Amino acid sequence: MKKVININFQGRVVPIEETAYEILKQYTESLNRFFANEEGKEEIINDIEGRIAELFAETLKKGSTCICDDDVERVINSMGRPEDFETEDPHYNQSQNNSSTQTESNSTTFAAPRGRLYRDENDKILGGVCGGLANYLRVDASVVRIVFAILTFGGGTGFFIYLLLWIFLPSKNLKTNLTKRLYRNPDEKVIGGVSSGLAAYFNIAVWIPRLIFAFPLVLGIGNSIFHNLFWDFDPFPSVFFGSFGGSLTLIYLVLWAVIPEANTASEKLEMRGEKIDLKTIKTTIQDDLVGFKERADKYGKEITEKVNKWGDEVNATASRSGNRIGHAIGIFFKAFFLFIAGMIAFALLMTLIGTLIGGVNFFPFKNFFLDGFWENTLAWATIIGFLIVPLVGFMIWIVRRFMKVKTKFRYFGATIGVIWTIGLFSCLTLVGIVLTNFKTKSAIEETISIQQPSNGKLLLTIQKDPISFYEDHWFGMNWDRNDAPFYGLNEDSIMLRTIRVSVIQSKDENYHMKLVKFSRGKDRDKARSVASNIQFNINQTDSVIILPKGFVITKNDKFRNQQVLVIIEVPVGKKIQLDNSLDDYEWFDLNYNRRKGWNADWDSNLSNSYSWDDDVELIMGEKELINPNKKKELSEDIEDLKKELQEIENKKKKLDKKKIELLKDSISNSVALIHNENIVDNYSSSKQSNVYVSSFLLDKFSF
Amino acid sequence: MDIQNTQSQMRKGVLEFCILSVIKKGEVYPSDIVETMKAAGLQILEGTLYPLLTRLKNADLLTYRWVESNSGPPRKYFLMTDKGLDFYAELETTWKELADAVNNITKADTETNNFNQ
Repeated sequence: MKKVININFQGRVVPIEETAYEILKQYTESLNRFFANEEGKEEIINDIEGRIAELFAETLKKGSTCICDDDVERVINSMGRPEDFETEDPHYNQSQNNSSTQTESNSTTFAAPRGRLYRDENDKILGGVCGGLANYLRVDASVVRIVFAILTFGGGTGFFIYLLLWIFLPSKNLKTNLTKRLYRNPDEKVIGGVSSGLAAYFNIAVWIPRLIFAFPLVLGIGNSIFHNLFWDFDPFPSVFFGSFGGSLTLIYLVLWAVIPEANTASEKLEMRGEKIDLKTIKTTIQDDLVGFKERADKYGKEITEKVNKWGDEVNATASRSGNRIGHAIGIFFKAFFLFIAGMIAFALLMTLIGTLIGGVNFFPFKNFFLDGFWENTLAWATIIGFLIVPLVGFMIWIVRRFMKVKTKFRYFGATIGVIWTIGLFSCLTLVGIVLTNFKTKSAIEETISIQQPSNGKLLLTIQKDPISFYEDHWFGMNWDRNDAPFYGLNEDSIMLRTIRVSVIQSKDENYHMKLVKFSRGKDRDKARSVASNIQFNINQTDSVIILPKGFVITKNDKFRNQQVLVIIEVPVGKKIQLDNSLDDYEWFDLNYNRRKGWNADWDSNLSNSYSWDDDVELIMGEKELINPNKKKELSEDIEDLKKELQEIENKKKKLDKKKIELLKDSISNSVALIHNENIVDNYSSSKQSNVYVSSFLLDKFSF
Repeated sequence: MDIQNTQSQMRKGVLEFCILSVIKKGEVYPSDIVETMKAAGLQILEGTLYPLLTRLKNADLLTYRWVESNSGPPRKYFLMTDKGLDFYAELETTWKELADAVNNITKADTETNNFNQ
């Protein structure tokens, strides 16, 4: 029992068995491929099909009710198969068995000459440059496109090459010279047959694409598990390797999704297609080298002519030249626009990937943020819907665009859109909930009873021993401890170091110690209950007070930006020493302006909290902490001495001035005196008075 | 050396000449060409013939005419152009020279063989 269908074949209605129809279809397809580059292909195929239809009509006239497999086979045998044409047709040489793709058939040359380089009007996404190049190089356009995409996003050069080619290459309707398509290979598959399909496409060994896909994947998985997932904040290498391996996996999945599987024999043939082996590439390159100079000359001439023509047109008619130049400008604008759009798309993609990586980094921390089923569900919805789905969608879109493959699923875009919208709302809701959980800040205060040290000195230090539950490096926590607020993490707990120590003056004769535990929460009660869960145990051995390294937050407590303020009250005249290990704490800022809601009476004294030097004995004075041993820095000394010197010099100058004035006065006085003496006692030895004056003068000046 | 290859190369060389020769005698339908050639002992597939005809037509050596058929759509009948006649004349000369040369060579060869025996 066979199904018979009616087909309209070359203007005749032909009843034909379905299987016979399949054979016929494959035959005409093989003809189409064979004559793909033949001038007058349509006509030849029409003639052949017309003849076949005529033969069918004859068969039917003889009394057959329909055309069966045998009839088709018989007709095909009399027409001949493409393989047979090659041995018969003088235009196909034996040496060109596979060259059904010749653009111009020529029986005398070994490899048919190629046409010049055009832009392909038939196979284009932007300007048809890639299509034209692919046609010229006889490779699949998607390969050229991928190369250009890599060049563009890798260094930007691809874009400019593209632009130049777009402007200078003429456009033409090129006939495809490739019968090869990318298929997944169902016969040779490990996962989806993508690798073997690629191998068949590029005519390479199967293990090559497999290795390419598998190696970074393994690397990426290893990397992301051991570094991303467990808190190694060394984002650049991990982003690179993680995303590299990850994106290869994604590419595999996307290819798996969009590439059709080669099921029928003809599809399998198409999958193998023309051999792109080393020999072809070699001849291609040799051809290029031989013809290069000629071509270069020819092209150069053409371009000069073109430019001249443009120039002429500019001179001749503004409107006509406007068209040409307008064309070029139009291309520039289009290209520029596409470039910008591409950059934006690329940036968005990168942001998306970045967020995804960030999300992965954040992931182990999730349990400390999120509370309950709904928040976790929202987090998952955010990660999948908001981050992963659009990423996959974007890649599928690109591949579809490049490969010109259509998925059978029509509502692809809409589905992605809906999932993304759900993801977006989940994200917003989640952010809202998390923000609510951090809305109110509150604190509780505890007084810690401490023994008064016998020697009037208190030493404050941090516990030195590693804490038992924490193993260094085990979960990849080899990050810089000084930079991270989180000190440690295992699956159930993290350790926070947001601790601050303040030293203030005691109101009485005794040392006192207080703890203020802060937390955030939905409301004040919630915040306080979380704050009260902070375990901050202080040990004292005589005069040494040992503070813990941090405080532990368990999965049940959740992270609500808990902080601990340690207040030490030191009586006047007593000593305190603070170990430099206290620097390991993550100091947090105390917000004085917003302390209103805090139930704590320490804050009135807080402005009296003093800064201190590490590792030295400090004495609480009336106004501030005093460091008795404090030495001035050498530079400060020099500065002071310089100042002093300056002052002394200034004084000296002033004094010198005064001296001179005084001297003037005394000289004039003595002169007057001498004069008077001369008048009074004219004869009293003028020689003597001269000596006197000179000695006086000498006296005055010789200091 | 593949014998089939050589044989087909030989046939290929004369194929166009033969086809043109058939068409020269008058307007023909392609399947008639096949029949004629088959009758003369030269096998050709119709699938090979059609592209050849199209190429010769595109080279202005042939032209065609639509002829109404009593069953189904009209049929293409091929005939020679003047250019085709010139082309044929040249081919004919070449063929004669070639045939003579080949005959002479092969005859000589046969004689030498006989002499040796």
